[in-house]
Amino acid sequence: MIIRKMLLRSPVWALLLITAGFMLFPIVTAILGSFKTNLELTTGATLLPADWQFKNYVQAWNQADFSGFTFNSIYVAVFATAGTLLVAAMAAYAVDRVAFKGKKLYIFIQSFTLFISIGAVVLRPQFNLMVAIGLQKSLWGVIIIIISAHATAFFMVIGFFRGIPKDLDEAALIDGCNFYSTFWRIILPLLKPALAVVALFTFRNAWNEYILPLVFSLSRPDLQTLPVGLANLRYGAGAAVENQLMLAGACISILPLLIVYVFANRSFMQVTVGSVKG
Amino acid sequence: MHKNRIGAYLFSFPSFFLTIALGIYPVLWALRYMFYDYQGYGTPRFIGIGNFERVARDAEFWQSVANTFVYAGGKLIITLPLSLILAVILNRKLRGRHIFRAVFFLPTIFSASVMSIVFYIVFNSYNGIINQYLLKLGIVTEPVDWLGAGFAMLTTIIIAVWGAVGNYMLLFIAGLQNIPEDVYEAASIDGVNPAQRLWYITIPMLGPVLQMIIMLAITTSLKGYESIMVLTEGGPFGKTEVMYLYLYKLFFPLTTTGSSVQNIGYGSAVGFTTAIIVGLVTWMYFWLSKKLNNVY
Repeated sequence: MIIRKMLLRSPVWALLLITAGFMLFPIVTAILGSFKTNLELTTGATLLPADWQFKNYVQAWNQADFSGFTFNSIYVAVFATAGTLLVAAMAAYAVDRVAFKGKKLYIFIQSFTLFISIGAVVLRPQFNLMVAIGLQKSLWGVIIIIISAHATAFFMVIGFFRGIPKDLDEAALIDGCNFYSTFWRIILPLLKPALAVVALFTFRNAWNEYILPLVFSLSRPDLQTLPVGLANLRYGAGAAVENQLMLAGACISILPLLIVYVFANRSFMQVTVGSVKG
Repeated sequence: MHKNRIGAYLFSFPSFFLTIALGIYPVLWALRYMFYDYQGYGTPRFIGIGNFERVARDAEFWQSVANTFVYAGGKLIITLPLSLILAVILNRKLRGRHIFRAVFFLPTIFSASVMSIVFYIVFNSYNGIINQYLLKLGIVTEPVDWLGAGFAMLTTIIIAVWGAVGNYMLLFIAGLQNIPEDVYEAASIDGVNPAQRLWYITIPMLGPVLQMIIMLAITTSLKGYESIMVLTEGGPFGKTEVMYLYLYKLFFPLTTTGSSVQNIGYGSAVGFTTAIIVGLVTWMYFWLSKKLNNVY
């Protein structure tokens, strides 16, 4: 009986293990490969590096300018996340707690931006607008455009708002709070755990963004973020393509997310389900 | 309920303003220029539906549309069944299910472009890591040209599947948790086997959730082009050129060192056409799944 059960289960376990291997293979390859020499990477066919080349990271950081890319990525992700949270939370507060004219139109416009996509076309007028206000020469152009795409964050936050009873607002009003202080003193502290989840989602998206910073750095190479700088390495910096530098660079981009994921993978998953449900 | 209307306008203004300026205005901008001949300099010239006549005759564009359907179709045919089966397995009280869920979901958190660089090294045609293993194990005698004309589409599909399975698995698990346990208990008394259980109970009970997940999967896979852009740039010989990548190239060069001819008027018309194609496919799916529902 037990043997029969195990035999029945073995295809299930085989499927799980093969899929797990498929999912982990590129990540493990990237991490271990980033410590190999270029020669070992292109001919070795081994899993572990023969000799751990920590200098790949030093080389990527200094010569391939990953220090600059990393700074730009952190700058964009931090400000885009803070901006998105503020803009989305304020709007969600107004929409959920006050009856005002134009509310339906506002919600319609937000959903419209979620569903209609004309691809890269929109980047042209967005870029032109940033030129008009002189922000195409800084990362703020990128940051503002990321903040402007906050419809998903808005719908996530408003989902969380429904969990905060409106009686709380009324109690705060009676105790002498007004519309604004209720938001800062009562609502925001209560929303903190929910906002942390939205922040994780927004930060990850901004950190991983490729096409938008690429367009902005076409004429300004100093604005390259990690994904953009990394993709440019494909063509080699004048000489041969250096695979070990590309993998070290890729790891600089994926390791911070991986470390957060090890500790908070449930929050990452909550975001995915929540963003679709909300 | 607050009565502070001014406060409400003040609080929703940043969101409203940003959405109008950077979300709605660009769409209107494209809706205007798709009727113009405009290269990015000089005066735009109104040409009516001239750009659309050109779209209709643009063989390269329609090839990219066909490629998009191959790409999206290939991705969905593998991703959806695999993620549903994994979800069914991991929804049960299996030892280590949380670890498996975390591992399968892991690829979705990384940047598609960054992982495409890793895959570029893994699938490299001459000395890529896969080829090294295949040669060493004696499975092939000469390196497989994974990014060449014959295999490039398959390779991009494999990479897309890698990045998507975890996401849909999680959505399916969320849907499965709404199916009451006693339905399965009743079925097991009636002696139903696992395959029958999946086909006759799980899938019908998922109903609208399944419909929504499939719709999301269709639109997402039609729109994806980032990893192809990094991996093959649409090549070789346009074999992996998908419609949103074709569209991108009408507006911007692929890299900081590249150059491109801007084609704003024509590009806007192509953008409108691709949006209509995605909309049509979504609508057809809705119509079809409703028809199928009525049959049951």
